[in-house]
Amino acid sequence: MAEAHHESSGSSADFDLSQFYQIFFEEAGENLDLMEQMLLSLNLETADDEELNGIFRCAHSVKGGAATFGFSDVAELTHQMESLLDKLRRHELNPNASMVDVLLESADASRGLLACHQSGNAGQGPATANLVSRIRSLVAGETPPVVAVTPPEAPMAAPVVEPLAAPQSLPAAAPITIDGPRHLEIRFTKLDQPHQADAIVELFRDIPGLGEIKPITSKSGAADTRVFEVQTSSTNEDLLDLFAFHVSREHVTIADMSASGPHEGVQEPVGADALAMTASSAAAAQGFGFFDGAPGSPQSQVPELVPNAAPVVDVSVTKVVQSVAKSPAVSNAQPEAATIRVAISKVDQLINLVGELVITQAMLAQNSRALDPAVYQQLLTGLTDLDRNTRDLQESVMSIRMIPMSIVFSRFPRMLRDLASKLGKKVDFVTQGEATELDKGLVEKITDPLTHLVRNSCDHGIESPQDRIRAGKPETGTITLSASHQGGSIVIEVRDDGKGMSRQKILTKARERGLDVSDQMSDAEVWQLIFAPGFSTADVVTDVSGRGVGMDVVKRNIASLNGTVEIESSEGYGMKVSVRLPLTLAIMDGMSVGVGNEVYILPLSSVVESFQVKSDAVSTVGQGAQLVKVRDEYMPVIELEKVFQVPRYDSDKTSDIMVVIEADSSRVVLLVDELLGQQQVVVKNLESNYRKVPNVSGATILGDGKVALILDTGALVRRSRH
Amino acid sequence: MDKVSDESKGNICEYLTFRLDREEYGIDILKVQEIRGYEPPTRIANAPSFIKGVVNLRGTIVPIVDMRLKFNCANAQYDAFTVVIILNLHQRIVGIVVDSVSDVMGLIPDQMRGAPDIESIIDSDSIIGLGSLGERMLILLDIEKLMSGLDMGLVAEA
Repeated sequence: MAEAHHESSGSSADFDLSQFYQIFFEEAGENLDLMEQMLLSLNLETADDEELNGIFRCAHSVKGGAATFGFSDVAELTHQMESLLDKLRRHELNPNASMVDVLLESADASRGLLACHQSGNAGQGPATANLVSRIRSLVAGETPPVVAVTPPEAPMAAPVVEPLAAPQSLPAAAPITIDGPRHLEIRFTKLDQPHQADAIVELFRDIPGLGEIKPITSKSGAADTRVFEVQTSSTNEDLLDLFAFHVSREHVTIADMSASGPHEGVQEPVGADALAMTASSAAAAQGFGFFDGAPGSPQSQVPELVPNAAPVVDVSVTKVVQSVAKSPAVSNAQPEAATIRVAISKVDQLINLVGELVITQAMLAQNSRALDPAVYQQLLTGLTDLDRNTRDLQESVMSIRMIPMSIVFSRFPRMLRDLASKLGKKVDFVTQGEATELDKGLVEKITDPLTHLVRNSCDHGIESPQDRIRAGKPETGTITLSASHQGGSIVIEVRDDGKGMSRQKILTKARERGLDVSDQMSDAEVWQLIFAPGFSTADVVTDVSGRGVGMDVVKRNIASLNGTVEIESSEGYGMKVSVRLPLTLAIMDGMSVGVGNEVYILPLSSVVESFQVKSDAVSTVGQGAQLVKVRDEYMPVIELEKVFQVPRYDSDKTSDIMVVIEADSSRVVLLVDELLGQQQVVVKNLESNYRKVPNVSGATILGDGKVALILDTGALVRRSRH
Repeated sequence: MDKVSDESKGNICEYLTFRLDREEYGIDILKVQEIRGYEPPTRIANAPSFIKGVVNLRGTIVPIVDMRLKFNCANAQYDAFTVVIILNLHQRIVGIVVDSVSDVMGLIPDQMRGAPDIESIIDSDSIIGLGSLGERMLILLDIEKLMSGLDMGLVAEA
């Protein structure tokens, strides 16, 4: 991962999104699975908002990702699903079984499309036009078209490409390809439910360019048979593929009407007699059986069977051969799984165990120091090796979790570029602090919220070039994304110089939605309103934003990381969203200082300098606020001994070492007894089992297994101001 | 909560019993994660005196509460026999210091008495009842409620 990143940052001009494809495919797969589970467990009568919101969020996430990566077919389908779900959760429609059906099928189809994209075969996925139209009609409140009885394997069939043994040895029957418009008669026979065929008519209506269809009254007049007259330029192959959604292949026969009379020699090119019919349908059934990936659909049977069937020149067999021939290339192109997704808790456990190992090792080293090297040479050599190995191990384990923010940031330039051009805006994207290392768990969870924030900035924040010029701003807007460690937290900021938020507009919208608001609310409180579920001030709902789902999700995701979101906005000048995350497992360079018998850790990044002073160098102001002069600058002095009420057993000793720290762009001096050293420390959360302690940002475990508190320099600086 | 249903079914509840000075207490065994010797914790400034500080429990930072100080016992000494019971409550891990751990006892409902209304340092809501075992009296604590009380200072005021 790290290497891939360096390469890509080296050639920064052209961002290679493909390194994130895998993550997206995994995330999308999880979201679709989750959505399926929720859909399946959805109780139609008692569906509550939370469930519907959950399903909606899944669809929304998939759509967002698909749009980011340019998978427009997936984005379109999920956009339709989202529209339907949006109506459901707004109670404009009541959920019913056919909606659930169509949503499940759409989820399957999305999965199929994604699989195609993943294997690099865009455009070979299941056709979605029919699904899209079905969802549209549901959204419009119509009764569903009667096509619910879709063969379940059909949407899955195309994408699931399984590598097959010896496909090249198959006799490759040439597919029937005819250019130009053709006049065909298509006959559907032995239908269980004749109305299935009616869906075919809709298919022609929905897919532009497919051609025209006209029903013909069948001569035989059998109830289970439908005949259509079709003008199309598509191949039989494609037609059969399309029909497969509604009618199984063995029921379909296609005849060329321009070649023969309209009602004679009907099945000529397709396999006329009953024998051929059986063979072809058997072949077709076999073909679908193995594409389904079901156990007990032996792959070896296909090569055996195909030669028998091939002379009959059946279209469906041709299809099988074609797919089979393609599959080796596909499976080669499919990237080896270079990553493993592992539960964070397992990594945490590993880190804790390694920490224990390091401490045990330190203890052994301590106890063996007194041994005579001449006598215990082997033991001591072993201990030295152990020392080195444990350190290496610790480093490797730690590095599992830490990745630089640039991994997240580099997702955005492309997305913003596409988005900006779609919206007709000009946007510059600036990133700061890409090297800030962030815990892997946090990175994964912060990516989606950040995506939402950046999209929001572009969509709602930045004005169109004309508006910007009118407002006296440069034509090109700027979106800045920055990451930094601040006061024991990681702060990620999304800033834009757009139009900011309108207090009045938000209050008006909030009243419309029946939220409890008043004009006396502070700005900060008003901005918090946009985090309410379903809140949106956008006038138009686009596929980018405006449904009001984004900020709700952002807040929820960040709150689940124990983080906070703050908004600053100035109408006409832009806004800033700051995401503050606690350092749950960030590694930090720390300086350990001693006060009395206790040890505290200072973040090295905030330490400016340290020096020894005589006690008379400190002057007091008023009733005891202390100041010390450091190179012509007076700085407030904070005695750690007093702040932390450190007990003194040795009254002779006093703190005479001063450490200058800087936080929030102001400096204070800390008075400590001694400087103990510098080390990398793993920041542990005190709040997971205890509570927030004033002036302390976290805790860490020292080499001897003791806990040391990490000072919150930001809080100490603020304390000196009051 | 599940304890209530267990009692109504007449099941035996198992309690870990420990001593504080001359009193004997019992807590639900299922809340106990492990028992350890006492090691000096890292002091936390401005915390109540009964919160001794935090220790490192295999990489987890765990606060240590001295029950003897909390319940105003006469003397709270730390020696080789002082024991820390590590509790797992609602995904939070807390250690409590006690004088000694006695044993694990199963109590049937017949042996349980309601807690009389008495004036004591322990909030009466945190006492499930009294276990009567011959001459011995066991004070059965709802340790979860006791530990999550605001006066314990373990959780921030919401």
